[in-house]
Amino acid sequence: MHGQSFAYQRPGSLREFEALYASHGDNAKILAGGTDLLVLIKERLLAPRLLLDISDLPELKGIAYDPAAGLTIGAGVKVAEIERSALVKEHAPALAFAASNLGSNQVRWMATMAGNVCHASPAAETPPVLLAHGCELLIGSQAGERRLPIAEFFLAYRKTALKPGEYLKGFRLPPLAADAAVAYRLRGLRRAMEIDMINLGVYLRLEADGATAAEVRLAMGSVGPISYRAAATEEKLKGMTVDEAFLAAAAAGVAAEAAPIDDVRASADYRNRVVGVLARRGLTHCLEQIGSRRNKA
Amino acid sequence: MKTLLKLNINGEDFDLAASPGAYLVDVIRETVGLTGTKKGCGIGDCGACTVLIDGRPTLSCLTLALACVGKEIVTIEGLSKGNELHPVQKAFIDKGAVQCGFCTPGMVLSAAALLRENDRPSRDEIKTALAGNLCRCTGYTKIVEAVEHAGQLISGEAHHG
Repeated sequence: MHGQSFAYQRPGSLREFEALYASHGDNAKILAGGTDLLVLIKERLLAPRLLLDISDLPELKGIAYDPAAGLTIGAGVKVAEIERSALVKEHAPALAFAASNLGSNQVRWMATMAGNVCHASPAAETPPVLLAHGCELLIGSQAGERRLPIAEFFLAYRKTALKPGEYLKGFRLPPLAADAAVAYRLRGLRRAMEIDMINLGVYLRLEADGATAAEVRLAMGSVGPISYRAAATEEKLKGMTVDEAFLAAAAAGVAAEAAPIDDVRASADYRNRVVGVLARRGLTHCLEQIGSRRNKA
Repeated sequence: MKTLLKLNINGEDFDLAASPGAYLVDVIRETVGLTGTKKGCGIGDCGACTVLIDGRPTLSCLTLALACVGKEIVTIEGLSKGNELHPVQKAFIDKGAVQCGFCTPGMVLSAAALLRENDRPSRDEIKTALAGNLCRCTGYTKIVEAVEHAGQLISGEAHHG
């Protein structure tokens, strides 16, 4: 039943991959983990002529941290490596947490975060955290590289800003200021092996007074065709004193900006109620992280 | 059209022919003839097809055979050292953690991979590591007990039998 025919190539270098990908165009698909791609092929939703296996390319491996540039993660890094990385746990703990909630242990050892992002499902685990971090995507092609804020990457349901011949090469998460933190909150039907009915990444940076919100990012998943930020709410919260009224405004704001649908996982009404709860919990978790860092300092 | 490839399975090299669209689970079961690896859902949800590739638990139903060239594949047949069972296998016997047996090879390999990283896992850590292995008999309690026991066998806190 699964006997589809396609060719398979494992390019030996990034240059070779870029040339192959440029020359084969839409007939080629990139195989990294395969946990989404091969399911789509088996279910006959995709029928590529060629799979280009990039999973062993050394140029796409590696997690590094630099105080000025922040955290960089190669597109070939497995989700399980992100989940376990000491650097990610230190500089982007919410991302390590989101990674640990993706699929099963086997899937995490196979899948890449790049695949999770490029698949562009609105229910994906990592995009809300990356949006909250203000992540910059490194996009490669035979013609060269460009950088794109992840907020500009998701164009529509399963549609991204990648142009023909372009591929996602890596991620850069800017360093977090001492008085800033990111949190991730999710709601699923079970505690494992589920697709989130709703998820949310939160970024909060406080002013020097420790009481005023300098900058807020609220990135929602599973409440629309893409993962996206509640931009109007973020703007409204800026400059507010962080208190109960602030949390209430954040909760009401994300609920107003969410556009969920009824589906097999949850009703639109439930999602509208829960997105506000998650925003409140995420912001509270950011405050706890900033507070505990201050106490240590 | 088929391609010639060499796969290293349980420490032995196999010269095989497979089409680019052939999945590892089918090559292991049908071409090599090792039927310990089970094929359940075929789309990565049930974990019955779990094998170790370079030590990592991997779904062989979502892995192309050609992508495994140059890697070390371990199936359930390769886990024991001859007649000396792996501690996880001993523990599954000790705790009666096998019912119909269909999930067992995948469960055992996932557990072996967990214990290689951490031989003192908490029950929550065991459940997390095995969340991608579904038991259709729902015999999870004894499986979790067995993995805990296997950790104790490895550290010498408990004995087989």
